[in-house]
Amino acid sequence: MVNKKPFIAMLLAGGQGSRLGALTKHIAKPAVSFGGKYRIIDFALSNCANSHIDTVGVLTQYRPYLLNTYIGTGSSWDLDSHDGGVAILPPYATETGGQWYAGTADAIYQNLDYINLYDPDYVIILSGDHIYRMDYRKMLRTHMENNADLTIAVMTVPWEEAPRLGILAADETGRIYDFEEKPKQPKSNLASMGIYIFSKKVLEESLIADSRDPDSEHDFGKNIIPTLLGQGKRLFVHRFEGFWKDVGTIPSFHETSMDLLEAEPQFDLRGQDFPILTQDDSLPPHYVGPNGSVERSFVGNGSIILGDVRHSIISNGSTVQEGAEVVDSILLPDVTVEKGAKVVRAIVGEGATVKAGVTFGSADLNVPIAVVGDDAVVE
Amino acid sequence: MDRVIGLIAANYETKGLGELTEERTVASLPYGGKYRVVDFPMSNMVNSGIKTIGLITPYKYRSIIDHVGAGKAWDLDRKNGGLFVLPGSVFGVHSENSHFLLRDLRRNLVFLERSPAPYILVSSANVISHMDYRPLIQEHIKSGADITMVYNTADRDETYRVGLNVENGRVTSFKPQPRKYEEAFLDTFVITRELLLKVLEWYSAIDYLDFFEAIEGDLDKMDVRGYKYEGYARAVFTSSDYFDYSMEILNLDVANELFSRERPLSTKAVEEAPAKYLEGAKVRNSMVTAGSLIEGEVDHSILFRGVHVCKGARVRNSIIMQRCVIEEGAVVENVILDKSAVVKAGSVIKGTGEATVIMG
Repeated sequence: MVNKKPFIAMLLAGGQGSRLGALTKHIAKPAVSFGGKYRIIDFALSNCANSHIDTVGVLTQYRPYLLNTYIGTGSSWDLDSHDGGVAILPPYATETGGQWYAGTADAIYQNLDYINLYDPDYVIILSGDHIYRMDYRKMLRTHMENNADLTIAVMTVPWEEAPRLGILAADETGRIYDFEEKPKQPKSNLASMGIYIFSKKVLEESLIADSRDPDSEHDFGKNIIPTLLGQGKRLFVHRFEGFWKDVGTIPSFHETSMDLLEAEPQFDLRGQDFPILTQDDSLPPHYVGPNGSVERSFVGNGSIILGDVRHSIISNGSTVQEGAEVVDSILLPDVTVEKGAKVVRAIVGEGATVKAGVTFGSADLNVPIAVVGDDAVVE
Repeated sequence: MDRVIGLIAANYETKGLGELTEERTVASLPYGGKYRVVDFPMSNMVNSGIKTIGLITPYKYRSIIDHVGAGKAWDLDRKNGGLFVLPGSVFGVHSENSHFLLRDLRRNLVFLERSPAPYILVSSANVISHMDYRPLIQEHIKSGADITMVYNTADRDETYRVGLNVENGRVTSFKPQPRKYEEAFLDTFVITRELLLKVLEWYSAIDYLDFFEAIEGDLDKMDVRGYKYEGYARAVFTSSDYFDYSMEILNLDVANELFSRERPLSTKAVEEAPAKYLEGAKVRNSMVTAGSLIEGEVDHSILFRGVHVCKGARVRNSIIMQRCVIEEGAVVENVILDKSAVVKAGSVIKGTGEATVIMG
């Protein structure tokens, strides 16, 4: 017997994140390291924990191994509970066969049994791709106050970003009357953050109907939302005012990381009342040597800094040897920058090595940010 | 290695640590930026394959229980075995030389009797060492000894450690206050469980004695052997021990041995962002832990979690425990700043040569 859970989360973590190139060659985007010690999925999972959501289904598909072991029992986010907790939901087979998740909606559709196990009234659908802090309980309140079928979290974005996002229009009560996925000529700059709260009954009905539509791409933005809008269902916005970033491209990953280093960053990793939870590193403090120097940077535990670090993120367990220089760069965990090497405006993948004396990256802003993948050797 | 269970004797106090142990015990003394001293025997046992550990707690048990919890950080929250938090006795713990009080062991007879393991590895909770117990245990089993005591060569005159006379591998007698270059006990030993139970029965009438005080007269009848440990090991008894030995981790060879990635030193998890350095930060030859915020200068020092060194502040040759704040322009030299201490803007605190402790 499973106890009823009024509000559960489904976290989409199956995307490859191909625009991150070398960084997602071996791991899914939600598992990519961010901010010195976190992984991108920590932000959504921490939001769940901080919102007191104790039942989270994580849908995985692309290269899930690291992600699965990382999430484990969910104890890092206090989600290792007997009652609910975290469940990893990969595609599976039944007596009629099995198939990969064909789209975001299909992934949820294939796990309706999981959802129904908890008999929830509301389901929040999240993506494991974004950097933000959000109390989902506030969004649920908006949903309940509007007696909505579906509530979409939105924020105003610069007009030039609108064409690559889901753009919608809402009246003064917040009711949505128009939705367009990646419009060429956007009519508004109110963008969907890809966070949805459904009343469970509406979710189930729309997913079942969608699964029978051979022309559907089984995508929330492209199919489910336009269909519900067409049916005159009650769709509302929940306006979010805070920091929210999709770090899905190398420039946005780099820029968002660099902003963390400001004295007053837009997004402060250091907030204690809404902590970002992550897997414990069990690494000692970092060491800065007699000739090392560090300024305007984040340095993770277990790192050893014998050279110079300026305006950079040195993730857990990395080493910057004597005479080496790291500037405007991000070293992901366990990187070694050997003696006299220079890393400038670059992202260095987990476990990679920059060989002695080598210069990697360029300060020239016209040159793209240099990136090398996990375990690579830069010679 | 289910043939061995671990026992950590943490019911030990010493006046030598002064204010540092006013609210905590030696075992829960903060060490190395994010650890507690008890993390060493706990992690060493787990890393040596010991899956059942009894921790005899001191009377002032709040800080240690808060730290070890159910043993999760050491993977000791098990259905079979795992961590057993055991009571220590209230009286008779102030003897500076009593590390393994018979009464503490007798109070936990049930734990000792119930175990099917033939061997018990016993450790105090004040030795800083990344010891692999497996060769020790193998040696003990191979030799067929009753007791195998771990020792090393003292690198100074010792006030609190017990000296051992070792002849052809046999421990023939003990002596108090061993001198530099003499062999000294490292408060770690392996004993056959049967013998331990017998000793506890024989000496039940004088259980206010230390285990080794009790058996001293029996050394000629028992097979007690020595096992020399060549790695890094320091026993902490006084605040100047604490200061000196803490500072030794600024030597990377020592740090690499104590904090090896292969057999990690585990500790209670606390969520902190990585350490942040702002403009004007100048840090040299120092250990800095996650959650810290550095705007000033730090030289030859150890900063625990969440320390804030404000603009223009200077920290030199000091140990700054968690959540301390060194405000703008303040100067801190040669001191141990205990948890959550705030050094007001512009003030100057300079310790003497001896470890000077400033309470939070």
